[in-house]
Amino acid sequence: MVKEEGIIAENLFFRYSNFPVLSNISFEIKKGEFVAITGPNGSGKTTLLKLILGILQPESGKITIYGHDSSEREQIQAITGFMPQREHISSGFPILVRDVMMMGISARKRLKKLSEEDEEIAIKALEAVGMNEEFLNRKFDRLSGGQKQRVLFARAIAVEPEILLLDEPFNGVDIPSQNRMLDTVMELRRKGKTVIIVVHNINPLLHHIDKLMLLRNRLIACGRIEEVLTEQNLRKAYGASIPIIYCEEGFGHPVYGDTH
Amino acid sequence: MELLPLQPYIIRALLGVFLISLNASIAGSFTVFRNVSFLVAGASHSALAGAALFILLGSMGMPEINPIVGGLIFALIVAISAGYTRKEDINTVIGISFAMSMSLAVLLISMIREYSSRVWTLLIGDIYLLTQHDIYLMVGVTAFNITLILMFYRAFLFISFDFEGAEAFGLNARLYNYVLLSIIALSSVILLKGVGAILVFAMLVAPAAASNEVARNIREVFLFSFLIALLSGLGGIAVSFFVDVSPGAFASLLATLTYFFILSLRRLSGKVQI
Ligand SMILES: Nc1ncnc2c1ncn2[C@@H]1O[C@H](COP(=O)(O)OP(=O)(O)OP(=O)(O)O)[C@@H](O)[C@H]1O
Ligand SMILES: [Mg+2]
Repeated sequence: MVKEEGIIAENLFFRYSNFPVLSNISFEIKKGEFVAITGPNGSGKTTLLKLILGILQPESGKITIYGHDSSEREQIQAITGFMPQREHISSGFPILVRDVMMMGISARKRLKKLSEEDEEIAIKALEAVGMNEEFLNRKFDRLSGGQKQRVLFARAIAVEPEILLLDEPFNGVDIPSQNRMLDTVMELRRKGKTVIIVVHNINPLLHHIDKLMLLRNRLIACGRIEEVLTEQNLRKAYGASIPIIYCEEGFGHPVYGDTH
Repeated sequence: MELLPLQPYIIRALLGVFLISLNASIAGSFTVFRNVSFLVAGASHSALAGAALFILLGSMGMPEINPIVGGLIFALIVAISAGYTRKEDINTVIGISFAMSMSLAVLLISMIREYSSRVWTLLIGDIYLLTQHDIYLMVGVTAFNITLILMFYRAFLFISFDFEGAEAFGLNARLYNYVLLSIIALSSVILLKGVGAILVFAMLVAPAAASNEVARNIREVFLFSFLIALLSGLGGIAVSFFVDVSPGAFASLLATLTYFFILSLRRLSGKVQI
């Protein structure tokens, strides 16, 4: 019998040139889990996503994704969908939302000719983030920051991934659109897809996620929210004291920012 | 006088302008999208060293090969090194290859004094000096580039837009990057004989940069940059009939002025809207 493997990392170590970014990272994400990763800037969150995607390879340690070793890039990337951080995008040319949407779809088809169906898929994905067909012919560069984020999110779900990786998807996105994106994520989760999301503000997700990872170049904590979100862990991660407020449902919400 | 336009050298010049415009369209546009305009300057100047080397080898009794072939090889080396480099260091690497090639070119030129004018021709360029063989080479390289761009259009667009995303969606982004940078380098060299290393930048980058400001989509960038380059080129040739000026220089002037004209128009209309 084949074991139902999710994502398993054992003792990952990674560095860019001589600067270690991730060390001693071990965790397990089960199939169908909704996991959030948080931590300060430069703590290696994006790097960890790239390790999961097989874009980067660990210097030591091991990570397997649905039974594939991280070196089996093709197999991994056939089942993953990725939304990059907006800062990593350069759109200083008149690329249309259609072109952006078709990127993922076309890459999946190994650049084979696109069909009408592909356009349907793109439209459906856009609708999931509250945008419609009309947006296809809009210049990506002319969209607002939040709209750009939603297109990038739509591009990631358009390839119907088994594992969805989102790098700071909510930056600059208005609350209704955030909720729509979150609804889409929850629906994917109901269908058994794994979702990994990098966020700075964990609060909107607290009631939804199964697992939280707190990162600062090493894994400060990983597990159920109440285990991870302790003042002590937060201090270890951010080097500053972040108070936690408990809501009616018993979730501890960190209060970021100036609390004076 | 009426027969002047039918002179073979003029026909070759017109063909040359057409081919240059095709390169300005496809390679020029992707230069702007991928934001590697410095590569154009680097590749075209490095090509001088390659051409000088081939001229030197020819003068030493080796079989005569079109010096542009040497240029193509050197430009490819620059493109590959640029692709190998991290994005942050890319301009430094290109700049230093640029400087290294120029030193090498001047060194080689000093070794082949009697032929040095042939190298200098490539620095300044002359569309009327294109030989039949030059045209074949231009057609070959241009066709090669167009084929690659048609085949991998979406991949090139993807890596220009977000490299990491392209990698994540399963494209061999590094490989496509090498191919795209090579296409840009090859196009730069193809313009060498016609407009000269100094002005390649103007003819290859300015039309696309201007189009990029006004186009409503990618297709329009390709179309407009082709037209701007073509009209500038033809303008250069037309003027050279009447006044004794370098058509390449005049064409480059037209292309760059178009860029600044469009830029100021955009700024102006931007101000009006506010
Ligand atoms: N390509 C690279 N080459 C060298 N260093 C890099 C590279 N990418 C990231 N780094 C460094 O690695 C560290 C971790 O980067 P990473 O992008 O993973 O952080 P992050 O947690 O995603 O940060 P942020 O919250 O700002 O997005 C940073 O110090 C960064 O400067
Ligand atoms: Mg990041």
